[in-house]
Amino acid sequence: MAADLVVRTEGLTKAYGRTVALRDVDLTIERGEVFGYLGPNGAGKTTTLRLLMGFLRPTAGRAEVLGLDAWRDSVAVHRRVGYLSGEPALYDRMTGYQHATYIGYLCGTPDRDRIRTLADRLDLELDRPVRALSKGNRQKLAVVLALMAGPELLILDEPTSGLDPLVQQEYNAVLREHTAAGGTVLLSSHLLAEVQRTADRIGILRAGRLIAVERLDELRGKSLHHVTARFENEVTAADFAAVPGVRDVVVTDHALTCSAPQLALDTLLKQVSQHRVVDFECAEAELEETFMAFYGAGEGGAA
Amino acid sequence: MLRSVTGKTLFDQRRALLAWSMSLALLVAMYVAIWPSIRGQPSMSDLLDRMPEAMRSLFAMSGADMSTPTGYVKIELLSFMGPMLLLIYTIAAGAAAVAGEEDRHTLDLLLANPISRTRLVLHKLAAMALGTALLAAVMGVAMIAEGSLADMGLPVGAVLAAMLHMALLALVFGAFALAIGATSGRPGLSRAVPAVVAVLAYIVNGLGPVVSWLEPLQKLSPFYQYAGHDPLVTGVSLTGVAVAVGTVTVLVLLAVLGFRRRDVAA
Repeated sequence: MAADLVVRTEGLTKAYGRTVALRDVDLTIERGEVFGYLGPNGAGKTTTLRLLMGFLRPTAGRAEVLGLDAWRDSVAVHRRVGYLSGEPALYDRMTGYQHATYIGYLCGTPDRDRIRTLADRLDLELDRPVRALSKGNRQKLAVVLALMAGPELLILDEPTSGLDPLVQQEYNAVLREHTAAGGTVLLSSHLLAEVQRTADRIGILRAGRLIAVERLDELRGKSLHHVTARFENEVTAADFAAVPGVRDVVVTDHALTCSAPQLALDTLLKQVSQHRVVDFECAEAELEETFMAFYGAGEGGAA
Repeated sequence: MLRSVTGKTLFDQRRALLAWSMSLALLVAMYVAIWPSIRGQPSMSDLLDRMPEAMRSLFAMSGADMSTPTGYVKIELLSFMGPMLLLIYTIAAGAAAVAGEEDRHTLDLLLANPISRTRLVLHKLAAMALGTALLAAVMGVAMIAEGSLADMGLPVGAVLAAMLHMALLALVFGAFALAIGATSGRPGLSRAVPAVVAVLAYIVNGLGPVVSWLEPLQKLSPFYQYAGHDPLVTGVSLTGVAVAVGTVTVLVLLAVLGFRRRDVAA
């Protein structure tokens, strides 16, 4: 069973003095999954990823990657994991190709064909020194370096920042090929929109706590819809507020506006149709909003 | 060059090492060029003799004598200028090894690969040792080759022995910088502390024979291991080599232990 778990943390905690950056995180990621790790900046996403890479030592709890202890066996872990740092730093005076050669030799022998293929797909020139590259091109180079050894698990910290949309598409395609070949991805972001096209599951981190882990398709079932209806006769708010799950009910004159999760729509609709309807509108909200509705806005600690 | 951390570190330093080598050769050439005019000037030796003893022991190694080639080279190159230059190189290299990469955020890129922190420290040490060996060799060869043009007749074996001891002296302080950098991750600190300690060690060694309360401390100074036995006259001191190698080993061990235990800054 444990063999299928690519990432497993138990009570993972990291404190700096009295500041707790990450508290009691239990997280499991299975082989072949794309896991989106979401949270506002400063919630502890980078801390988690760096703990998994063995750059940081847990204050309490433990982290296992591919069945190996992330801190003690970090060398064995690194042999099978590709990592993209949140703000990738490169060697200014070295070219992309020199980077790929150096990193390639640190992992064994550089696979020149794969490096070329990846660079071509992301439209990256390898023979210019890094200091002459734009921010987007540096990001691309860092992505190539993380991918080139063909890792089983990719740990990507805010991977799409700085990539233009066209490159992002190609980059998503690369990720899909990676998972199609049995690879696993853990990627962090502060924007749901960035991961909702690729992720199977998402974890939501706030103020150092993992407050929810959801399958993306289940989250869609909970996805919020904005419902607007106008009636011939007067209605009261109480008629609709009683429907479970319905929120933000506002009744003005002959009109109703409210939000309801997908699962409550049926009941709500039946309630609405007891009155004579003049106009009816129902639109799915952004996933972001669903998110906020369930887990509250930024105010920390209350989870 | 890019096949290992050692190779890549030296690759990064290639221009700096070339500039250092040329400067050292030129510096030696300058002193050699002055030698013929010094040789005929007994007043230089008088000047040395008239110096207060404390000052003389600070600026010249044992038996300061400007009238012979070895005495001249000892005073001008081996007692202060040579060690100072090599120390600047090793302390900078030691501080850059771990703390420098961390400060520039490239340590993540490096450590994300299957290379242990221990190996990283050892590779950085190897690069520093090779760089130091190159500079010491350049200085030694320059002394012998350029010196022969001015008929200085410096003893080849003894010059090489002196350069071996000078390289080891520089490596002691380089390893000290490496240890501080690996443990703290702070490049400024890892340059400043070894530099200050080097100045103190130099003074302790220089004033030891003159100031009675410093005398017991003198033998602890790495500068004593370097020059206390007068390498340009007596050659290699196995004790001196052993103490220096032992010190470097202990410092590198501390670097490894300090680095393995701590968090790496993002």
